[in-house]
Amino acid sequence: MNTLFPTRETTADPRTDADWTGRRAFETNLRALVGRAYPRVRGLGREPSWIFFEILLPFLGTSAFVLVYRALQAPEAYVGFVVLGGAMSAFWLNVVWMMAGQLYWEKSQGNLELYFAAPMSLMAVLLGMAAGGLFMSGTRSLAILLISTALFGVQFHLTDWALAVPVFLLTMTALYGLGMMLASLFLLWGREAFHLTNLAIEPVYFISGLNFPVARLGALGAVAIATIPFAVGLDALRQLAFPGMPGLAGTPSPQVEALILVAMTVVFLVASQRLIRVIERMARSRGSLSIRWQ
Amino acid sequence: MNAPAVVGHPAFDGNGFDPARAEGIGLADTRRHLWTAIRLGWQVESNWTDPLLFFIYTVAKPVASLLLLVFMVQIVGGTGASGEAVRTFVVLGSALWAMLIAGIAGPAWSVLDDRERYRMLKYLYVSPATFLLVLVGRGVSKLAVGAMGTVVALLFAVVVLGLRVDLAAVNWPMLVITLLLGLPPVLALGIGLAAVCLQTRQESWSYPEAFAGALFLVSGVVFPLSILPAPAQIVGLVNPVTWWVAGVRGAILPGGASSVGGAGSLWVTLTGTAIPDAVTTIVVLLLTGSVSTLSAIALFRVSERRARERGLLDRTTGS
Repeated sequence: MNTLFPTRETTADPRTDADWTGRRAFETNLRALVGRAYPRVRGLGREPSWIFFEILLPFLGTSAFVLVYRALQAPEAYVGFVVLGGAMSAFWLNVVWMMAGQLYWEKSQGNLELYFAAPMSLMAVLLGMAAGGLFMSGTRSLAILLISTALFGVQFHLTDWALAVPVFLLTMTALYGLGMMLASLFLLWGREAFHLTNLAIEPVYFISGLNFPVARLGALGAVAIATIPFAVGLDALRQLAFPGMPGLAGTPSPQVEALILVAMTVVFLVASQRLIRVIERMARSRGSLSIRWQ
Repeated sequence: MNAPAVVGHPAFDGNGFDPARAEGIGLADTRRHLWTAIRLGWQVESNWTDPLLFFIYTVAKPVASLLLLVFMVQIVGGTGASGEAVRTFVVLGSALWAMLIAGIAGPAWSVLDDRERYRMLKYLYVSPATFLLVLVGRGVSKLAVGAMGTVVALLFAVVVLGLRVDLAAVNWPMLVITLLLGLPPVLALGIGLAAVCLQTRQESWSYPEAFAGALFLVSGVVFPLSILPAPAQIVGLVNPVTWWVAGVRGAILPGGASSVGGAGSLWVTLTGTAIPDAVTTIVVLLLTGSVSTLSAIALFRVSERRARERGLLDRTTGS
């Protein structure tokens, strides 16, 4: 028997069984969250090929951009910009591939009907996906950061940890909040989901300044700061890790960017909750939203 | 009662059995299967939307990749004559990369699409066409989509970024030969990755791009091999993509910077020549391309046999 989440005994009276207390609903949703996060955490140990394909190879990809700067004899701080961007890109890839597109994949696999039929909140499923995804991409990001830092001799001058830690956490909540919101939208958009996923990589990398300070993009960079959590989080972390670098001037201070991230987190989480209600309603009224290949 | 013989059709022996169908497929069948696989791939790629939206999706990715690199060059002071040369080098390599990545990722994504999303892989596998041919056809259609991206990225570079290409100076025979010789090894790399994805799970979606990203490092796409350490340069020199990119770049911009040779490069140490000439580039492309194609086919055969033995062709996964 599961001691963390004991199974509730049923009674002979269906009306009593259907009358859920707040605590019972909370426990069930927590179980759903843990259950949805489980395959992502556990899966890391099941198939070790990801170590080669998702740590070593992306590290080599990041190295290519480092070498572009080295070939151009750019200031060493730019190498640090690339390394930090490469590490943070693991989270963005996880958000677009395994959050935004996930409900659509679940639909394709026939799991989505089960989600709608199960007595739990779909928000719990999305939060579970986010928690598991954060763990998966966190390991990858950390590995890329450590290997690149050691190999390329990047010097971080991070002194304000009290701000850097909340900024990182806020970046994650805003990013995964966006992923939760996009999951519902991508489900509505059907087959375009795959193409949207693809489209959300390089163009977002460019306007977010993956390998260079976003301030250099001028008005386009300002739009990115205002709308894309990846852009604002990356810029804030760069300002904190490489204080005083001239290329970083021109964007709001990390404190202001932290507030932008707070606003983004609230907006994305509220929007994702509303959208999930909309698609639940549509799934029931149309009957086709959750069925494979419809 | 015996089935009636097919009049005028010697392939039938009068028992309703066509021995030709059990003896392997002929050239005409191969051609037809390949064409069907290409058409199928094109339909899968493009029939979900209207042509304009499909075009936007196709070009946004390569143009954004191009801009990402051009800005990197621009920001660190890539101005003046040397900056212009670096920018041209980077722009050409980056535009070509759109096509390469499509060819490399195409067959692998086809395996994942058909196995995990559409659950059609087992049906494709038992169809009369050989599985390898089906994947090559799907790869060709992806390559065609990628080629569109390359053409648009080049046009964008000429019109918006001011890339100067003298059409009269382009070495057209060299361009055609390298383009044609380079495509089979690119598809072969894709087939090799498809072989890997046959063995792995759904999260392999990102594997082709990760592999291509690593290849980007050792192919002289946006910087010359000479800035890499010697072991990495060796990997670059035996990699057909390096020679394909160098050949196409050399044909479009004769006399421009070489990604293979140059001061401090392993090429100079090994051969004593500054840069490989056109004939050398073609010969090495042919050699490295042949080796990688044969290796990819061998890897695919091993993977296919293992997948069949272990029931991986209709396995679906998720996380």
